Amino acid sequence: GGYTQSPGGFGSPAGTQAEKKQRTRTQNIVPCTVSQLLAAEQVDESFRIRNVEISQVTIVGIVRHAEKAPTNILYKVDDMTAAPMDVRQWVDTDEAGGENAVVPPGTYVKVAGHLRSFQNKKSLVAFKIMPLENMNEFTTHILEIINAHVVLRRNLMEASRGPQAFPSAGVSDMGSYGGVCSMPLNGLTAHQSQVLNLIKNCPVPEGMSLQELKAQLHSMSMSTIK
Amino acid sequence: MGDIHDGPRKRIATAHLAQHIGQPVCFVGRVEKIHPSGKLFVLSDGEGKHTTVELSEPLDEEISGVIEVVGRVTNQATIMCMSYIQFREDKSPFDLELYNEAIKIIHEFHEYFPFG
Repeated sequence: GGYTQSPGGFGSPAGTQAEKKQRTRTQNIVPCTVSQLLAAEQVDESFRIRNVEISQVTIVGIVRHAEKAPTNILYKVDDMTAAPMDVRQWVDTDEAGGENAVVPPGTYVKVAGHLRSFQNKKSLVAFKIMPLENMNEFTTHILEIINAHVVLRRNLMEASRGPQAFPSAGVSDMGSYGGVCSMPLNGLTAHQSQVLNLIKNCPVPEGMSLQELKAQLHSMSMSTIK
Repeated sequence: MGDIHDGPRKRIATAHLAQHIGQPVCFVGRVEKIHPSGKLFVLSDGEGKHTTVELSEPLDEEISGVIEVVGRVTNQATIMCMSYIQFREDKSPFDLELYNEAIKIIHEFHEYFPFG
């Protein structure tokens, strides 16, 4: 039997195919905190954070609990921002193991999946659960969340203001101090945007040391980077 | 697992302990020393500042490297540990300095990284 995950009534593991047809509008995969997912508003069958429709999300957290059932594995994943979130992964019953081996509690994982709500309780249906081999990915995820949500908010402001020239979230010459979150336009100062973007684009899995950041941002003193 | 895991636990560094007395927190640091009793250990954060972590029961294993502690900040600005995990560093070392920078950004941009 299937498990009804969403109001849309997708009751079987093959539901993802039908879901993809319905949600082709939503292309982004947005890194989020569990707290953000819990706070997302549900509008009909879709979810919104900052009035932007989200569907595919990623979270990073610790597996606190893992329960194997015949057709699925139920995890509880904890990222410290709220109570652990239910993450359900459908298993291919023909597969002997391998990809669908149960991830043990105490493991840090990155989950990519769709947000669902059933009887007012939110959960994720995962299409990928990856144990982190390099914990610096956990740090990068934190920065990616903030960057993504700042950009989401900025895009929302842009849309409501109409066609005006706005600086990109990367390098900004405005010099506006967006350190206070109520600043609608650019959530980050120019310097912070640059640092964040560098960290984000860092190709080295270990991330960037402060020395590397300093080398790339010649114009900034070390204290500004910090 | 106790109740503390069913709610938000704010990520902090040593510098933030004083502002979070009594609150549930999450602290990541490198093991500096372990008390012989096994009921107390000291972690250093990404700025090299030390935090004391207390346990209600002595450690039943060797801990080393980077530890993530969940607990409550005591009146003495130590952390009463409810649970901990060790970060794996078998494939890559963990950049604790970068994590500290991320903490500062989390705090400054709390609207985009809410706890609770």
